[in-house]
Amino acid sequence: MRKTCFFVGIVAGLIVISVLAMQGCNDGGAKSGGPGSTGLAGGGFVFKEKLSEYGFFVNKLSDLQPAPGVLPYELVTPLFTDYAVKDRFIVLPAGQTIRYTAQGVLDFPDSTILVKNFAYRNPSNQKILIETRLLVKDPQDKRWEVMDYLWKEDQSDAIRHITGARIPITLLDDRGDRISTIYQVPNTNDCKRCHINNDVLTPIGPKARNLNFVRARAETGPGRGGVNREDTGFNQLVIWAKQGRLSGLPAIGQVERLPGWKDSLHFSVGQRARAYLDVNCAHCHTRGGDAYNTGLFLEYQQTDPEHIGILKAPVSAGGGAGGLNYDIIPGDATHSILAYRMNSTEPGTAMPELARTVIHQEAVALIRNWIDQLPRKRPLKKLQQKEQ
Amino acid sequence: MNTFEYSAEKSSGAVYERISAFRISICVPLIAICSVFFAGCHTGTGDGGNKEPGYKTTIAFHPGEEAKIVEAFLSVKDSTCFLLEEGLYKFDNLSIAQVSHIRIKGEGYDKTVLDFSMQTQGGEGIRITNVNGFEIGGLTIRDSKGDLLKISKCRDVIIAGLHAVWKTADSTSGGYAIYPVMCRNVLIDSCYAEGSSDAGIYVGQTDSAIVRNCRAAKNVAGCEIENTSHAKVYGNEFYDNTAGFLIFDLPALSKRGGFVKAFDNYFHDNNTRNFAKSGSFGTSWGVGNASPGSGMIILAASNLDIYQNRIVNNNSCSITIASGLSVDDKALEKIGENYFPIPRNISIHDNTLQMGGAFPAAAYEHHIGKILVGIEQKLNAQDPGRKNKRIPEIMYDGVSTNLLNHGTAANPDSICIRQTGGNVFVNADFLNVANPKKWHPTTEWKAFDCQ
Repeated sequence: MRKTCFFVGIVAGLIVISVLAMQGCNDGGAKSGGPGSTGLAGGGFVFKEKLSEYGFFVNKLSDLQPAPGVLPYELVTPLFTDYAVKDRFIVLPAGQTIRYTAQGVLDFPDSTILVKNFAYRNPSNQKILIETRLLVKDPQDKRWEVMDYLWKEDQSDAIRHITGARIPITLLDDRGDRISTIYQVPNTNDCKRCHINNDVLTPIGPKARNLNFVRARAETGPGRGGVNREDTGFNQLVIWAKQGRLSGLPAIGQVERLPGWKDSLHFSVGQRARAYLDVNCAHCHTRGGDAYNTGLFLEYQQTDPEHIGILKAPVSAGGGAGGLNYDIIPGDATHSILAYRMNSTEPGTAMPELARTVIHQEAVALIRNWIDQLPRKRPLKKLQQKEQ
Repeated sequence: MNTFEYSAEKSSGAVYERISAFRISICVPLIAICSVFFAGCHTGTGDGGNKEPGYKTTIAFHPGEEAKIVEAFLSVKDSTCFLLEEGLYKFDNLSIAQVSHIRIKGEGYDKTVLDFSMQTQGGEGIRITNVNGFEIGGLTIRDSKGDLLKISKCRDVIIAGLHAVWKTADSTSGGYAIYPVMCRNVLIDSCYAEGSSDAGIYVGQTDSAIVRNCRAAKNVAGCEIENTSHAKVYGNEFYDNTAGFLIFDLPALSKRGGFVKAFDNYFHDNNTRNFAKSGSFGTSWGVGNASPGSGMIILAASNLDIYQNRIVNNNSCSITIASGLSVDDKALEKIGENYFPIPRNISIHDNTLQMGGAFPAAAYEHHIGKILVGIEQKLNAQDPGRKNKRIPEIMYDGVSTNLLNHGTAANPDSICIRQTGGNVFVNADFLNVANPKKWHPTTEWKAFDCQ
């Protein structure tokens, strides 16, 4: 019946059909988030089709040289994404400043755009850009919006992309070893999954405590290699305050500081492990986050041993728990679900569930080390920061 | 069983009627309508005849349009109905987030099939989050790596006429087939779940849920109500699982369960091996604790009413009432606003309880199964007058609030049982089970008998 109908339709007027069909597609496109749609009725921020249209960068786009007013930044403990090399920028509206907040993400003015580029090092040690993610604070409804841009193979530009992608790559890890994997570009719902808390979309990385350090690539100061990491004059937050980009910053010594997960010179294994878990897990594993239902809460400030996972039985892990009994067994990383799931790439087992297709060997080693040195006795007493 | 088949047929029949009407109208030789339909855009905003009543936008798809479906789901606006026509669709995963009034509708569970065997990332095949007003049904979803359908933080959810299955029922299957969690107002009606390595139908941390006219087979647990309050479970058939039906409360979660009614259900022949994934330590939490041969298990949950069910041929125990201490010796330390490990206010009455002649073989290989076997042996050794009867139909672990306040009342927690028969109840004295000299399970149940 349908075939007949189809046949009649074609015979009766191919041109009419295609015109109408295209019309139909355009309607569908506008309704379903085509170019120009931001999910807002009547105005608001409009995502552009190509990354180059924003003018974030000068000269060759793929060199990611920030235009004047575009602030590069780094995080002391970053999220792991398949050994990706990340370049991060804040684009502030002219004349506006970021307001300091002691807890949570800094208070960005309306129309702020956070730009995060993901690249990998190929076996020839070239940096290959894969995707650029934007977070925009819409001036109309004060809500953050997400969009992803997928880089063309020739690295000439990146194109707006909402459905996610799977890209086979061979990358060099931090030890220079080759790993072949299928990199997962998130779709827009994947983005929301990590960025939503209590139904509100929010940035994750740029919290004062995670920005509170001296960048290796500080854009002002003595230049590469010459930075004194102990000199707070080169601290990212201090520099922004001096430049008038950040208001309300207290004396830098009073600003909370998240440990660098690799910085064994200044921080204990426990502090580094908890910082890593905070950045890589706590956007979901927190009240109101995507993993609220698990009762496993991995924020750096969490002190309840049950919520941290100490002798906590899993809730909905199913086979993902590998038949193990507890998230963390103090002194026994081998039988702790937390370490087991970080050491897997199997869907349903691997944690984090998104944005990781290879194992972060160095982090697994750190977490195992931390669990193995947790005291076996009185594990249900509150964990004190000094004990970590 | 026929009743359930009938209701499933009925619901897909209703869908089918609408589809037929839709076919007739599209074959009116209006070129515009045909072209819009066949161009694959299917905006269907009112003039195509395929508009779903009550939805602003209706979008129809057919197999082969998977990429378009993925994109349409990602960019969906409020008040949209997706019609998935008959056929086999293959997806890595699908998701919808932060919108209102969404429906996903197939042409019937035996017609529209969504296959997720190519899932490469994430925890589930279909993921619905923060949606107010969500309905899905009239289709089969199958073979994801993780859970099949997770609906998280949604309000007013209807899952009807949905089949969620793994073709292989073993530890490689995902945890839950149908998995609403942290939702409000959930109806699961005339669904079927098979092959889950945890619970086929699982309602977690939800307030107000109904599970009715569903079937679940070949899962570790047929259905589980966990930390969920104000749930009604009726008219269901759970069979050929390790355990038929569970009501659990676990510690450290967002809310407490309780106030659950289960009635007019048929839990039978749940005697299969527990295939929840186990490792070197064994599995001593959650559904791994369900002994093969369990009709129904209550764990650390309170305020329950269990009546007029047929619980038949579950050959290790018809109904188990257990405290959190039976699986976690730290359970008392975890008492809080959202967790109380000792079951209170449990009413069990007017059920048909029958067990077969012997434990299923798989019970002898399971850590809780072994305890149940031990209870039967101990009772018969203590009292030759029992003449080697089976373990009683209802096993209570005997852990009461006396433990907390050093009380001595025989039944301080209002465990109220009104059942006929000569082998109804055992207080299994779990606290002493590891100490053979002190261990004394007893069938004395006057204090629990609410006749």
